[in-house]
Amino acid sequence: MSFTRMMEGNEAAAYGAMVSRADVVPAYPITPQTELISHIATLISEGKMKAEYIKVEGEHTAMAAACGASAAGARVFTATASQGMAYMEEALWMPPGMRLPIVMCMVNRAMAPLGGLRPDHNDALMQRDNGWIQLYCENSQEVLDTVIMAYKIAEDKDIYLPVAPCYDGYFVSATATVTTVPDQAEVDAFLPPYKHEMYSLLPWDYKRPARSANAAQSRYEVQTAHEKAKEVIEEVDKEFGKRFGRSYDGLLEEYACDDVDAVLMTMGSMTGTVRDKIDEMQAEGKRIGLIKLRGFRPFPSEELREMAKKYHAIAVVDRNNSYGSAGGGVVSMEAARALYTLDDRPLLLNFHVGLNGSDVTLRQVEYMADKTLEAVSKGKVDEVVDWVELHDLGEVL
Amino acid sequence: MTEKVFDEYYEKSLMQGGTTCCPGCGGPLFWRMALQALGPKTVIYGDGPCAMCAIRSIKLPHFNLHFSFVADASSGMAAAYRAKGIEGLTLVSSAGDGATGDISFGKVSAAAERNENMLQICVDNEAYMNTGIQKSGLTPFGAWTTTTPLGKEAVKKEIPLIIAQHNVPYVATASVAYPRDLIAKIEKAKDIEGFKYIHTVMPCPTGWRFNPAKSVEVVRLGVETWTWPLYEIEGGVLKLNMKPKQKPIEDYLKTQNRFRHLTEDQIKYVQENINAKRERLLANDGKRVIL
Repeated sequence: MSFTRMMEGNEAAAYGAMVSRADVVPAYPITPQTELISHIATLISEGKMKAEYIKVEGEHTAMAAACGASAAGARVFTATASQGMAYMEEALWMPPGMRLPIVMCMVNRAMAPLGGLRPDHNDALMQRDNGWIQLYCENSQEVLDTVIMAYKIAEDKDIYLPVAPCYDGYFVSATATVTTVPDQAEVDAFLPPYKHEMYSLLPWDYKRPARSANAAQSRYEVQTAHEKAKEVIEEVDKEFGKRFGRSYDGLLEEYACDDVDAVLMTMGSMTGTVRDKIDEMQAEGKRIGLIKLRGFRPFPSEELREMAKKYHAIAVVDRNNSYGSAGGGVVSMEAARALYTLDDRPLLLNFHVGLNGSDVTLRQVEYMADKTLEAVSKGKVDEVVDWVELHDLGEVL
Repeated sequence: MTEKVFDEYYEKSLMQGGTTCCPGCGGPLFWRMALQALGPKTVIYGDGPCAMCAIRSIKLPHFNLHFSFVADASSGMAAAYRAKGIEGLTLVSSAGDGATGDISFGKVSAAAERNENMLQICVDNEAYMNTGIQKSGLTPFGAWTTTTPLGKEAVKKEIPLIIAQHNVPYVATASVAYPRDLIAKIEKAKDIEGFKYIHTVMPCPTGWRFNPAKSVEVVRLGVETWTWPLYEIEGGVLKLNMKPKQKPIEDYLKTQNRFRHLTEDQIKYVQENINAKRERLLANDGKRVIL
């Protein structure tokens, strides 16, 4: 039976894995992901979840065991964060190239040494190039729903790619919000049992995908799967919405964007704060809206270009930084590439904020929105990359 | 006539003819023996380099990642078979000495600690041979490699004894020079539930610098000089499978050019180490060697 209660993001992710009927969970603890895997251990020990939990000795092994289990016919769930994700890095390249539909929550946390235990997106964003699908979630319900949808996307026979539901440590992982765990029968009807068409590691039925002798061809196939995933993510989101009454606008959500001059583009937990401030500012007559980027990989370039035609300015809010980059954070560089081919491009601003888990405050959102609207009225951007936290905005943090 | 014999053999064999192994490599020899014991209901997980040259020619399901991935994907495979209720399979997880003893040492240790249901095999050619003969933790004292041009300074890591201390049900050493012993050990391991570890020497003419025709002779001398004692540790109890009359270490060292620069003093040091090891093995034969 479906039930609803207050639930932290990590517990929601564990329930997501449970109702998705994950068979094998190889995992290693790291803050802020730990509650997720201990919830899973509890669900298994209580007999509510039927899965083999491999208590591995490190993240590198977690992902390797995930690959072996996925190829051998099991639906696999795991999770990591930050330093653990970096330690896993070598193994993280395997599932996309091997076309293994593993689902792993990336519970975002800053990287050492200039970060502590608190969240930013640099850990997941350094996985930019290795072929994982990345979907960023805003609250517990979205985490749970995204885990279920992640399997449906990953196991689509035109996709066969690993999917990472990403969510901010603490702000999502440890913040309880009202969450509904759907009925098992409903999830079963939505998500059929796992059966990989390319793999079987049984002596009486052995198959593995053939790899092209041309490396470029094999890589192009992964690229094509990412392109196709844009459609599949939209379709799965719609189908989920029909069955469960909740959907997330696929890869990009426009919030309060009717009749605005400019938008802030956000990812993850800060989106909630920005929604509130946007409502307030619009009530004051300010023409600012919000785009929530849910899918960072595949990056929704075409959709963003289409939306961008309506706005005079887009401000990308990056909860990450890329040292020595061509300009600004990782997401802003992606957006710049996506928008470059437009004949009539909006102004593009970039804000760094919330690094190492510092709060993204209402005042900071107001500052970013005002700066963006100022650029619109001037017709130019004074400061292309703005480190918001270096300004004294008159608030005590 | 010869062709017909080979055709008939390869039709029945679980290993196809022709591998990418170097001439004289112990790999294909080992796997032909091992497969006799393992039979067709076997799945093999292998690490990257030398080990895969032979494994790719095996006509059974295999899965492989790089050599920094030992006993890990196979742990996942074991879990998947359990989760899916698939029984009656033998899961073999194979890796070289550098993989087992160096880069994936923690992984093998962890799989042993978890008592994963698999047969972990170390195919030990005593250096990183696939990358072109570089020293590993299992390279013996004094051996020339491209990264120890003056000979290795430290002694070889005793991996089988370290694995035994994890209190796993079965640990054994083996050599292709003694096929019956090797096959019997694999047959025994196959029927045991939990983590089994077999450490087998892999003669390497390319890296050890000897005539490829002499592979079996060289590793037989390894056993006869007590460089490579054959033993098993079952339920924590040590059993020496062979107690040959000890030949002098020179007999073994002089077969391989990797040792040709050793001084008399160094040879004496190697001999003393072996003597001490032999004494301890004999003293503990039939006794529990796990704390």
